[in-house]
Amino acid sequence: MIWLTWRQFRAQAITAAAALAAFAIVLAINEPSLSSMYDSSGLLTCHGDACAGLASTFLQNLSSGGGFLIPAASVYMILYFLGVLVILIAPAVTGVFWGAPLIARELEAGTFRLAWNQSVTRTRWLAVKLALIGVAAMAVTEAFSLIQAWWAAPIGKAIGLGGGASIFSEGRFGWFVFPTHGITPLGYAAFGFALGVTAGLLARRPIPAMAITLAIFAAVQFITPLWIRPHLFPTSRTVATIAAAGANVSLRANPKLTLTAGVVPGQPGAWIMSSEGVNAAGQPVSAIPASCEQAVSQALGSHRGTTMGPGSAALNKCVASHGIRVAESYQPASHYWPLQWSETGMFLALALVLAGYCFWRLNRRRS
Amino acid sequence: MTAVIETEGLGKRYRARWALAGCTLSIPAGHVVGLVGPNGAGKTTLINLATGMLAPSAGTIEVLGGRPIAGPAQLARVGYLAQDAPLYAGLPVADHLRLGAHLNPGWDADMARRRVERLCLDHRQKAGTLSGGQRAQLALTLAVAKRPELLILDEPVASLDPLARREFLQDLMEAVAEQEVSVVLSSHLISDLERACDYVIVLVDSRVRVAGPVDDLLATHHLLSGPRRDPASLPGGLEVISASHTDVQTTLLVRTSGPVLDPVWTVSEVGLEDLVLAYMKQAARPAPRNNRRHLEVQK
Repeated sequence: MIWLTWRQFRAQAITAAAALAAFAIVLAINEPSLSSMYDSSGLLTCHGDACAGLASTFLQNLSSGGGFLIPAASVYMILYFLGVLVILIAPAVTGVFWGAPLIARELEAGTFRLAWNQSVTRTRWLAVKLALIGVAAMAVTEAFSLIQAWWAAPIGKAIGLGGGASIFSEGRFGWFVFPTHGITPLGYAAFGFALGVTAGLLARRPIPAMAITLAIFAAVQFITPLWIRPHLFPTSRTVATIAAAGANVSLRANPKLTLTAGVVPGQPGAWIMSSEGVNAAGQPVSAIPASCEQAVSQALGSHRGTTMGPGSAALNKCVASHGIRVAESYQPASHYWPLQWSETGMFLALALVLAGYCFWRLNRRRS
Repeated sequence: MTAVIETEGLGKRYRARWALAGCTLSIPAGHVVGLVGPNGAGKTTLINLATGMLAPSAGTIEVLGGRPIAGPAQLARVGYLAQDAPLYAGLPVADHLRLGAHLNPGWDADMARRRVERLCLDHRQKAGTLSGGQRAQLALTLAVAKRPELLILDEPVASLDPLARREFLQDLMEAVAEQEVSVVLSSHLISDLERACDYVIVLVDSRVRVAGPVDDLLATHHLLSGPRRDPASLPGGLEVISASHTDVQTTLLVRTSGPVLDPVWTVSEVGLEDLVLAYMKQAARPAPRNNRRHLEVQK
């Protein structure tokens, strides 16, 4: 059975290995110049507060370098986002091209009658296929992730040293950083593959199965950071002054009071999920105080009537002077690995449930 | 005599439609059994149930005394050649043999190699580029080289041209002679069965119309022709399978254990094809005698 699985999977395995090699070579060629930029940035020898400024400069330099393919983007930026994109779509690609046709192609071509009438039970047939190809899908996705993490190590270090205000400065909890680093790629790959196999078994034809797999996987990838990840682990809550939280009063929401916090005091690297204005009694404040109207119109005027500009320091100060503070709910940085394990575990469990369903259905429905 | 396939009230329903219903039959071992019947009689459904490709909706089925696909040992005892001989189009001939060797503990590599050599198949040729006849032969090789006790073939020659059909059946007969294996073979081409089978089961509307060794069937069925008369006036011991009349003549196909002595009738032998067709027709349009009985009961 292992031989047959390998024989039928050989071409896809070679394609995946080639893609992985190409990815590694491109990043390996670029890596020396990225690390030499880091070495000469002064970040190796900096102390204390000086580091944050140096890190920001380093990140700024990376993102604004000479245009390579796209004039406005540096080669580092292109490689960074290309890498992240590859890791994000790798589970979808393996699910669509390895998972969906696994059973559907046998059903469509009628070869299941050949395969399932050798002296091997369907359970064993499916178990070997799911195990070998599923592990391959997980390994490939994780390999992409590890190669990218190795290449992007200087960027990660600079962000860790407090570098901000650049395109790279999304922390470890970022929308596309969290699911592409650590162990989460393993969970996504297992889930995408099992989803494809199940869709193939139900649709019975590869093309519709591939479309279903892609649609569901994309939806899950979109829903997870919005509605699932924030609730995997209990959040912490704190109230801080507007200045300490680096918060800005949004002009867009005027006259409603909307505060966007930048940091959690004493919790570097925390993932801020929501922030709102509260009064001294801790009650939510929903409107910008009327006496701050002057600051609002000044801020609006200075942005020539647009409501899109950054917040105004005067407005922030005015709101703060009314005793309004920021209540933040957040995941501390120490929750990074527990969250990684929870999300990975959730997707691995989903993959196992789908696989279990496939075994059950294959034996119940017979064909 | 043990049974290779034994069913009891077997049925298979697709939503509201029964593809097979109330089928009770016993197929004896040691024969090449031809399973014949019109399209839609339930032949393929019966075979799919016997090979575990389908699960029954009603009744039971036992194959070689066990539940179909109950485990690797049960799977190893049954060889199955599905309709249109499914093979992996992208895999060469050699890999199909390797597949058989890897997945069957009882694989007879010698026999498989000899057969492929005799068929003049190129080991490197992909299965998708083989002719229909070659595909069927390669699929048969896979089915027999696992050394099954029972070989089930579903319409194996339906898509082959007459020459390939004859070669395939000859080849099948040689394989059967070489190893002791029972065969169940479905077809709607009766002339092919005549060449290959020594036992026939006629299946119409899920029911066994007639079953028995070909020689016995031919010995107990006769074609009678004589002046026109009502079949109901025949003496007892004769079962009329089909009757046709012209203005002056009546032709009957009858089943009887003894000889027909009435000098009015000219008795002649009947071929397997005519015999099977008569039974199939009987199902489609009940014989006049049955009709009359039915009317009498109503009175």
